[in-house]
Amino acid sequence: MSQSLRPYLQAVRSSLTAALCLSNFASQTAERHNVPEIEAQTSPEVLLTPLTIARNENERVLIEPSINSVRVSIKIKQADEIEHILVHKFTRFLTQRAESFFILRRKPIKGYDISFLITNFHTEEMLKHKLVDFIIQFMEEVDKEISEMKLFVCSAHPSLSVCHTKPSTVERAGTFCCRVFPDTIRLIDQNITVTLGSACLPHRNLGTC
Amino acid sequence: MANQTPAVVMDNGTGYSKLGFAGNDSPSFVFPTAIATKGPAGGAGGSGSGRPAVANKPSFLTGGAGAGGHLSQKRGTEDLDFFIGDEAIAASGGPGYGLHYPIRHGQIENWDHMERFWSNSIFKYLRVEPEDHYFLLTEPPLNPPENRENTAEIFFESFNCAGLYIAVQAVLALAASWTSSKVQDRSLTGTVIDSGDGVTHVIPVAEGYVIGSSIKSIPIAGRDLTYFVQSLLRDRGEPDSSLKTAQEIKEEYCYVCPDIVKEFKRFDRDRSRFLKHVVTHPGGRQVTVDVGYERFLAPEIFFNPEIYSSDFLTPLPQVVDNVIQSSPIDVRRGLYKNIVLSGGSTLYKDFGRRLQRDIKSLVDNRIRQSEIRSKGAKSGGLEVQVITHKRQRHGPWFGGSLLGQTPEFRSYCHTKAEYQEYGPSIVRRFALLGGPGGS
Amino acid sequence: MRRCNQDRAFHTANMLLLDYQNVLIQSVLTERFSGAAPVHIDQTVSDFDGVIFHISTPESKTRILVSIQIRCYDDLLRYGADEVLRREYGNYVVPAEAGYNFSVEVDLENLPQSKEERDDLIYKISLLKRNAMAAPFEQAYQEHYQLKEAASKYTSEEAPQGVREGGDVKVVQYREEEAIYVKASHDRVTVIFSTVFREETDRVFGRVFIQEFVDARRRAIQNAPQVLFRNDPPLELQGVKGVNSTGTGEIGYVTFVLFPRHLTPQRMNDVISHIQTFRDYFHYHIKASKAYIHSRMRRRTADFLQVLRRARPDSEEHKERKTASGRTFRTAA
Repeated sequence: MSQSLRPYLQAVRSSLTAALCLSNFASQTAERHNVPEIEAQTSPEVLLTPLTIARNENERVLIEPSINSVRVSIKIKQADEIEHILVHKFTRFLTQRAESFFILRRKPIKGYDISFLITNFHTEEMLKHKLVDFIIQFMEEVDKEISEMKLFVCSAHPSLSVCHTKPSTVERAGTFCCRVFPDTIRLIDQNITVTLGSACLPHRNLGTC
Repeated sequence: MANQTPAVVMDNGTGYSKLGFAGNDSPSFVFPTAIATKGPAGGAGGSGSGRPAVANKPSFLTGGAGAGGHLSQKRGTEDLDFFIGDEAIAASGGPGYGLHYPIRHGQIENWDHMERFWSNSIFKYLRVEPEDHYFLLTEPPLNPPENRENTAEIFFESFNCAGLYIAVQAVLALAASWTSSKVQDRSLTGTVIDSGDGVTHVIPVAEGYVIGSSIKSIPIAGRDLTYFVQSLLRDRGEPDSSLKTAQEIKEEYCYVCPDIVKEFKRFDRDRSRFLKHVVTHPGGRQVTVDVGYERFLAPEIFFNPEIYSSDFLTPLPQVVDNVIQSSPIDVRRGLYKNIVLSGGSTLYKDFGRRLQRDIKSLVDNRIRQSEIRSKGAKSGGLEVQVITHKRQRHGPWFGGSLLGQTPEFRSYCHTKAEYQEYGPSIVRRFALLGGPGGS
Repeated sequence: MRRCNQDRAFHTANMLLLDYQNVLIQSVLTERFSGAAPVHIDQTVSDFDGVIFHISTPESKTRILVSIQIRCYDDLLRYGADEVLRREYGNYVVPAEAGYNFSVEVDLENLPQSKEERDDLIYKISLLKRNAMAAPFEQAYQEHYQLKEAASKYTSEEAPQGVREGGDVKVVQYREEEAIYVKASHDRVTVIFSTVFREETDRVFGRVFIQEFVDARRRAIQNAPQVLFRNDPPLELQGVKGVNSTGTGEIGYVTFVLFPRHLTPQRMNDVISHIQTFRDYFHYHIKASKAYIHSRMRRRTADFLQVLRRARPDSEEHKERKTASGRTFRTAA
């Protein structure tokens, strides 16, 4: 885990744990209704101050607590076009299956890639710290997954250090060229050495606001 | 029409996939729905997950995903290193490849494999660019809507297909029967008897909609007939009683007789009814196998299951009658009138005739009983008709081909633009193709 | 380690690629030629790029007519398709069926004697599309030979304009929005594909993929043809009718430069076959990549679900409990 990731996740974990202090609270505006106040936004007195935890301008988490529900929105790192596409694809894939994710919001909050909505009913039937674990693990793995997928699509990304992973497209391009020009095969065989830069880009320091 | 590319019709069944273009009278390709991938063969559903925690989840969530540990190891062109269909069967005989069947009981279990199976079918076999073509796919009755959505996700997001229509196999089988001369009105009401290799379904369809609560399945189908023939060959001590020989005999010589006792007598009277089947072994050696009573006894297990099975004892005509009786009363007449056969195991000579006779006698019996009970009331009778037609073997595919070539087909499809507008849930509803409103 | 991986990759290369021939025509003819009883055939099948084949037995069951419809047939005729097809199919050519561009007919009662010849014939007919599309390439080859011959008489400076510039650009509008451009010069043949992507994802994947083509050559495969990719029309296409000069980003141009070592007559057939499959191959791989990414996402989603499921306390409360007296009971949730 990179240096700045740990404190970032730690900050999210503690803020989230603190925010997940929910109680059953009936709606004050509609009789015999019980709605997530953070979504309804009808009684300002039960909403708490939203909190943004940012690692850098591309990665941040927005936690919006209220008396009976918390909305957690995550902006996933997207350095370039490919990552943007992959993040978009992946989050859409997940929200398509929101039904089974219980706490996944079907639509992210504007400016974020994916949102979760945790209500007091969720915290009552699920273990609170495990829910927090889930969010944290999600944040960790989603970055990893995007990087790995990107590596698959696009081989020569300088900041990825996964040297053992062979870029597939090179192989494919090679295969194609070889088919067209069969006697180049031997040549490739001897020459091809795909080296990827192994340095991770230094990340900005964690900033909380 | 000249500039319009023909629609692609794909009927992916548990055993075999039927692929082709709309407008043709037979599928271009029929091969096993099998995929051979690098690595060992998977267990049920080809999941090989080794993670019981997810195994009980519906497949549309996990996609029958393999072990997570493979995630980081998988790379390079392994995703293209696979075979499908007959080539898959051949490849799995060699080292390094495992064979998987992505469809179980008519439903897709392993989406990873199915996605690759489709991509290979489209590019390698059908040789079309999915962006240029509309697709007509089939699904079994009672397919969960999530499976439809998953299918749409693959077809629109991975393949960017121009348009998609997913039809229920039974409804297509009804449409296929329109080629029969017995069918006067092109109605989509009827009972479909779909008997393939693994299982036989009796599916009532009213106005193009499957009456899900009344569907019955019978654990007797083509494979059981083959086993039965094999056991008869074994009992007689024939020189060759392999499964392959049994299957050949079943496909070539079997027929349905009107009365099993009379047929036995007829065989004993007329020795010419006993046939000889010549089996050529790979080495060139030839063996002659006698073919006897199994000619009519094998298909008889549909009508008298007790000669084969001890668990399932209801004859097919009885099951059909029960299914129709459990359907809503206002459609029963239509269901009796239009009983359509579909699938390879309904091809035996006189299968339809015997079925019709047996169902008719059940129905007439019941009518007589109620006439007696009602003391004097006369019933107008009930028409029972079993439809046999030429396209029975690939019934659903042919129905798809028939409907896919109609000019209005494209307007029934959901297009890529619509999918992007509404999301995958759009495929939960399709306008009824060929139903009222269509021409 | 890398070496052996690479070896494996090329070993498996065969299955990665698409065939040149139409598999269906091949299988239908193989079956018919095998001596099985003649049957009535009437099948309309499609191939890449909107090509439509019609296999039928219009007159008698023993005479199989195979017709092809290509949208750019007029373009191809201009570049000598007729000649190429006549050379390939000779006596089998019959007047084109109505609605189609070109037809061949085989008589099952009049087949070549040996099995090899019959297999050759099957293969040849299933390559109908490839052969029709080959015409402009073949013409470019011939032009190249002539220009080379002409150029060898001059030094590079004093060569007349025509020799230095090379032949005209041949345009084959093989799809509604995409075309192949072929241009012969005295020292090279340039083949340019214009590509259009409808979808953002495809476009990004495609660009990365082509970049790999370009890089692959730079990195290792020096003998491979030069591959270039750009969003605005290359210089070769200046002044060619129908080329949109504004680079909107939707259209891309992939240029293959074939050098004399690829242009030997022995290699001509192979190179032409391969280069034709470029687009199909390209799209197939984009789609396969997406399929792979899908399967990764499925797996990861399953993992996430499992993590989330851990948050649900196990059905501990529903466990059987014992009272002091030894009786068991179940607790409610």
